[in-house]
Order: sequence, then structure tokens, then C-alpha cells
Amino acid sequence: MDFYTDKKFIFMVALFILAAAGLVFFPRLAGLILIGSLIIFGAFALSWKEPHIKLSGMALLVLLALLNIYVNGIKFGIDFSGGTRIPVILDKAVDDATMADLVKTIKTRASVLGLTEVKVQAIGNTEINVEIPSSDEATISLIETTLSHQGVYQGIVDGKLAVSGDRIFSSSIKPLDSAELTQQGADWGVAFAVDQAGAEQFAEAAKGKADYPIYMYLDRPHDVAIFYERVQFRKDMMADAGEKESLKALNDALKFEGDSIPIYIVEDMDANFSAPNNHTKAIVSVNMSKAAKDSIVAKGFILEEINASMVTPTYSRTRSGVLMLDKLEISGLLTAPILSGGITNGIPNYNYVVTGSVQATNPADKAKEAQNRVKEIESILKGGSLPVQISLGSRTSLPASLGAESLRLSVIAIVLSLLTIAILIGLRYRDIAATLPIVLISLAEFIILVSILGSFTIDLAAMAGILAAIGVGVDAQIVITDELLKKDEEHKTSEKIDLAFGIIKTNAIVAIFSMVPLLFSGLVEVIGFAISTILGALLGYLLTRPAYAALVEKVLDAEKKGIIGGSEGSEKSPGIGF
Amino acid sequence: MELPNIYKGNYKLLMIPPIIMILISLYFIPQIKMGVDFQGGTLITLALKEPISADTLSSELKSEGLDAKVQVYKTTVGDKAEIEVPQSQDLVKAEYLRNNFTALLPTVSDLEVRAYRDPNYTAQFNEENQKLNAIADQMFLLAKLDRSKMNITGSNDLEKYFSSAYSTVYKNYELSVSVPIDKYVKYDSISVQTVSPVLSSHFIGQAVNVVLFCAFLSVVLVFLFFRDIVPSIAVLTGSIADITIAMGGMGIFGIPFTLQSFAALLMLIGFSLDTDILLTTRLLKRRGNPRDNAYDAMKTGVTMSIMALVSFMALFVLAMLTHIDTYYEISAVALAGLVGDIVATWGINAVVVLNHKESMGDK
Repeated sequence: MDFYTDKKFIFMVALFILAAAGLVFFPRLAGLILIGSLIIFGAFALSWKEPHIKLSGMALLVLLALLNIYVNGIKFGIDFSGGTRIPVILDKAVDDATMADLVKTIKTRASVLGLTEVKVQAIGNTEINVEIPSSDEATISLIETTLSHQGVYQGIVDGKLAVSGDRIFSSSIKPLDSAELTQQGADWGVAFAVDQAGAEQFAEAAKGKADYPIYMYLDRPHDVAIFYERVQFRKDMMADAGEKESLKALNDALKFEGDSIPIYIVEDMDANFSAPNNHTKAIVSVNMSKAAKDSIVAKGFILEEINASMVTPTYSRTRSGVLMLDKLEISGLLTAPILSGGITNGIPNYNYVVTGSVQATNPADKAKEAQNRVKEIESILKGGSLPVQISLGSRTSLPASLGAESLRLSVIAIVLSLLTIAILIGLRYRDIAATLPIVLISLAEFIILVSILGSFTIDLAAMAGILAAIGVGVDAQIVITDELLKKDEEHKTSEKIDLAFGIIKTNAIVAIFSMVPLLFSGLVEVIGFAISTILGALLGYLLTRPAYAALVEKVLDAEKKGIIGGSEGSEKSPGIGF
Repeated sequence: MELPNIYKGNYKLLMIPPIIMILISLYFIPQIKMGVDFQGGTLITLALKEPISADTLSSELKSEGLDAKVQVYKTTVGDKAEIEVPQSQDLVKAEYLRNNFTALLPTVSDLEVRAYRDPNYTAQFNEENQKLNAIADQMFLLAKLDRSKMNITGSNDLEKYFSSAYSTVYKNYELSVSVPIDKYVKYDSISVQTVSPVLSSHFIGQAVNVVLFCAFLSVVLVFLFFRDIVPSIAVLTGSIADITIAMGGMGIFGIPFTLQSFAALLMLIGFSLDTDILLTTRLLKRRGNPRDNAYDAMKTGVTMSIMALVSFMALFVLAMLTHIDTYYEISAVALAGLVGDIVATWGINAVVVLNHKESMGDK
């Protein structure tokens, strides 16, 4: 039977092509795709007895691994690639969910700067490591300022400051519970309290302003103006609103004593209009036409091009039908709830609630939307999206040349250890037919491991794990070889392999379980080591050992029969069972 | 390479070498140094621009009030210096104060708001507020900040000043380390690893959890595979002996206890089980003369250990050349443990299981 016409084999090739396509088109998932393929091909190798399935399972996986290295490359930690590590120290210990939030937020903050290669990792529950693949001083300090930046919250009513973040008791910012929500008749709500000065400030600013929106800003920029082209501006308006009405809504929201953010339509700038001073920034969408940009620069503004979504205003109408601005990200305006009558009488008040309703109707979506709104308001009031105060520790910089040297030496060490093992195995068995497969399989194992780990990050610990896996990886092959070479007339070859596999299975399971606790301990310094050890054991049990057994058995059988070299895959060995 | 079968004759004598090794190890285990991960403190690694002497630097740093341990290494990637600064007492205290402050703050803010509206709460607020201020004053003292220069009207302002005072304490500690180093050392790269008291106690807690969980899992697994209490105990004894010898090696050769060496110790548990299971399977699940089976198992097992020794030796040589701590700690622990494993498995486990098998055969 020709193995390439075998349905099982064709099925595996189909899966291989699928996985290969996945590697090329979804590079982010490369590591997971490889681990998935390892498990699937491994399951085939365990359940289908044909030697050629076992061998081709491994061969296909090696091909996938090589393809992944070729297409997606190998990612190295800063120990090998050079770069900078900045530890972020949290104000207090946080739980896992908060930590996950923090890591995500810091990633977003960093990626806003266009630094996609930033790696953010939690260390324990009080520290986060940020790694960037650059030692450039300007980039590092940019990251440092972005990270350590604590936002400033301002609540503005009719152009006057009503609440500022530093008057809010940060520990008082809490979501309302369901009883309070029912009482307020709202879908979501956040309560907060202010101190004496804050209460007086609010009372004064909000006096007589019932049904006015309170514009909630986070990091409102100074000395800027926002420009739109007429066509774009009209496109973003509400369907039932006019241009004048919309402009008024914008100007109402953005006015603030002495520091209003003016809005201009480029086509309406008249001849003697010019920038108020030589450092006023003009904020425009990246999509603005070149002619319009040039005309703004000609007026003496410093042009700043921003992502289109950040300069797109979101409007709504109040109950009385007045058009108002809800959100304009670039100005720092994130939301604008309406003041209820009870707190606009001019009497100082210490406790406040921000409430609202949600659009969704189905209960699950409703709860989710409400929760998102609560989170959003909480983070605005707290002056940014970080739920705890952070400080930055001393950074570590590693020049790329030093990293490259470590990498070069590590590769030499790996090659040397492979060579030494090959020589020792050769000496032990004095049989090229038994030695060559061990060396080849170790090499295959090494390629697969590097490819999988390289899709995540190879750091020092992972590299040490790879080296360890090479040494431990040959162990099971030694068990099989010893078993097969034993002068034992009682057992057939297949029974000997069964015996060897009993031992190997136990070993693999124990090795995996002894490292699993480390994997979930959150000790990131050594997780790379744990992962490579576990993957090494898994790979060995599922694929390389069965493949090795199939290979060596065939070779040894061929030797016994006096056929040199054996004929691969063309004859079926007598029922090997695992 | 045919060696005589060591299990012929009075094999119980084989237990002597491992027992001697364990006793020596027990003596040296208390001398294991704790690394910064578990002890807290700061470890600064420098790639030097020009060679310096460790002693000179150490006394120079001392003259700046920095009591640090300095080591200088020549490596193939240039000269390296390691400076270890012990945990700062100020930092420990600052962290303690911060925890107390954060715990008390919500109560005080809440009372402050209540007291604005209802004078009945004033007394209670004053009492708690005093406690909070007392904590803050200690922090300001640590940070050498002058409270009279602060404009504090309520707990809200206090929180802000407290937070910045904590950052000041932290920054001061870092400056006390980095300023003298910058003054005396010219370097290409610097790595500063500061492990705070909270983080180090977190690491210790996690490490203990991992070890307990791991030990429990292995015993359960081994029992499930063999359904026999004696091999389970033998396997556990073997692992413990192995870890003990590895830790003795850490004490003798000055390998610090860090997260890396800890991971290596865990890997040794797995590895020690490998050879133990090989031995137990060959002895209990196979016909023929148990002593021959034990000897056969040993041949296979020792080959396995030698292969692992070879690859860790490569890592070890690499560590010697580059002085990369991660490599050094993992490889040195693994080497000590693998040697220990050979002795313990074939000296203790084999004897226990062989004895068990032979006494079963007698019945």
C-alpha cells in the first residue's frame, strides 16, 4: 500500500495545510496554532497504529515549526535582543482581575504611542514590568511620562469649573447597588463624595443650572483649537440638526473661563484671522485635505494631525430637545450627564451620584452595558484608567550588542550539547542504526520547541528550559532503545515497546504535573522555564517517542533480517499497540 | 562497558554513600544564601566600560554610606560587576505605613463627609483622623518632608501628600544606591532589580504553595500508577533525598536561592521521579531475577542521567563564560541534583524496592 494514498495520511496533510495557512494569516496566534497541531497530530500518533502516521505526524510538525520560524520569525526577550525594562510599582497589592485590567490599560497607553512591541507583564501582585525593544533615550522617557501620568478630572457646568478631581475622595467613588439604583430609577450609577472646598465650588457653579449638562473632561488640553472641513463636519452632525446648531453645541461644551477650545470650519476662516499666539495647536483629522492643512498652517498654527475617530463629535438631545455635545475625545470630553434639579439650589452638598440609562433591551446586554458605563465613569472620576497609584522603578537597559552575544553563545552551547550527546549515545550503543534516530529526533524536538516558544518570547529562563529539554528529551529514547536491544526471547518486539511506553507515559505525566503548579504561580521569571519543560514532555510523549519507536524498530528489524537500511513506510510492522 | 552487578551480594551496604551525602548536605543547607527574590533588596548588574577592583569599589561605596557587596567577573562579553544592596529598613517601614494608611483611609473619608452634615460624627471623625495623621507624620519623617509646608485641609489632601511622600522614600532609596555607583563606575549597561518586602513575601508564599502542591501531586500520581504503598514511599524518599543533596550543593558552592534555582529544584523532582519510576516498573512489573532487573534498570537510568548531565554541563559552561545568573543558578542546581539523583536512586530507592520485591517473593 502506498502511504500517500492512505486516507488518514491525506487527512493529516489537509490539517497541515490548514495549520500552515493559520500560521501565515494569523501570526498572533502562531504559538497556539502550533501547540494545537502538536496535540492533534499527537492524538493521531497515539490512536492510529501505522508507523508512517507516527513518522509523518512528526515530520509535518517539524515543517510547520520551520514555516513558522521562516514566516513569523522568533521573538526574543530583551536579554537577547537588547532593550529596556521599566518596573512599574503599584501603590498597593491588587487582585488578579484588577491586575489584568492594569496590564491591558498600560498596553493600550503604550500602543497609543505607536510602540506595538511593548511587552507588559505582571510580577506578583504589586509590580508590572514593561519591556520595550529600544534603548533610545527619547523613546524611554516618552514611555515613562506616559506611564506615570495621572489624569486630571474636571467637571464643567456652563463654562465654569464645578468639580475637580483633587477635591474628590478617591475611596468614595463606588458603583450604586441595586437597591440604590431602583431608588434612583436608573440602570447604572456611580456615587462619589467631595471635601468641603469641593462642595462649595460645586454649589456655586451649579446654582440655578438644573437640566444643564455637566461636561466631564479628563486631561482637557490647553491652548488648542479644533478645525473641521465643512463636508466632514456636516457628515458627523445628527440627522435632524443644522450646522449652526451643531457649532453652538460644540462651542457651549468647550467653553471654559479663560481657556475655551474654539471650533473653526476651515472654509469660514477670513483673511485677517490668525492664531492667538505662536504655540497654539490646531487639531485636525488625518483625513483633512492638504490644501486645508496648508491654509491652517499659513494662519500661524502648529498643526497636529489626529486619528479621525478622536476628532469626531458625538451629539445627543436633552429631554427638552436642546442639541448638546456628548463626547469629543480629543478635547478630553468623555461624557456629559445632566444635572438634576436637587443639587442646583446653591447649598453645598458632599455626596453625588452620576446615573444613567442604557439602550440595550435584553437583560444580559443591559447588564454588560451598565457595567461598562460604571467602569468608564469610575475611571474618569479617578483621573485616568489606572485603578491604583503607580510609581516607576529604576530601569534596566541592555545594549543590543550584548544581547546578541549572549544569544550567539547560547546557540553554541546548544549545538555543543547536541553533539556531545550524539557522541555519548554512539559510544554507549556502538550502533549507528540506534544512534542516528536519537540524534535526528532530538533535533526535530529542538526545532519544534524553539518555534513554539519563539512565537511567544524566548527569555533567559526559556532558553535554559530548551537546553534542559534536549538533555531530558533523549531519556525516553534511551528507555526504548535499551528495551529493544535487550536479549529477551520471552517478549516480542511489540511487547517490549509496550513495556517501554508504560514507563515513558508515567514519566511524561509526572514531569508535566511537577511543572504545572509553577505555570499557575504567576512567577513570570520562571514561567518560560516551566513552559519549555512541559512542552518538551508533551511533545515527547505524544509525537517524538512514538515516531522514534516506529523508526528504530523498523531499522532494528531490518538489521536482524540482514537488510541494510530498511525500507521506509512500504511495509507494515506487526501490530504495534500503545 | 560492562560493570559488575552491584546488586549481587549484600546490596544494603549501597545505602551508605547516599546517607553520608545527605548528612553532609544537611550540614550545609543552612548556609544557603537567599537571593534578592526571596530576601528583598536590590541587585545591580553592570556591564563595565573599564575594569575595576571589587574591593576598591566596595570601600568607595562604603564611604558614601552604601553597605554593598561587590563582585567583579571577567566574562567573554566583557567585565561584569554585581552589587548587592540589602533591604532598606526605611523601605520596609514605608511599606508597612502605606498598608496601614490605605486600610484606614476609606473610614476617615467617609466620616469626614458625614461630619460635614451631621456634627454627631465629629468626635469619631477627629479620633480616626488623628490616627491617620499619626501614620502620615511617620511617613513624612521617613521622607524628610516638612509637614508645616503642606497645605492639608482634609483627608483628601493628606492622601495626596502621603502618596508623594511614599514615592519620595522609594526614590531616595534608589538614589542612595544609584548616585554612588554612577560616581565611581563607568558602565555600558545597568540592570537594577529591586524586590520590595511585599514582593519577596509574595514570592515566598507562592514558592511554598508550589512545593506543597507539587509534592502532593507526585505522591498521588505514583500511588495511582503502582497501587502499592512501599514504592510510593520509596519514590517520595528518593525525591526528598535528591532535593536535599541538591540543596546541600547550593550551600557548598554558594548558589543563591532565587526563583531560578527554585524552578531548577522543582524540575529535579520531576527528574528524580523519572529514574525512580523506571526502576520501580522494571522491578515490580517484570519477571526474571529482580537483582538482574535492578542492574539493567540502573544501566538505563545512569545513561539517562548522564545525558541530562551533559546538557546542563553545557549550560553551566555557558554560565561560567557569560556570568548570566539565570543560567548559572539553573545549571548548577541541576548538576548537583543529578549527581544526587544517581546516588540516591540507585543507593536508596533500588535497595528499598528490591528488598520489598524479594520479601514479596518469599511469601
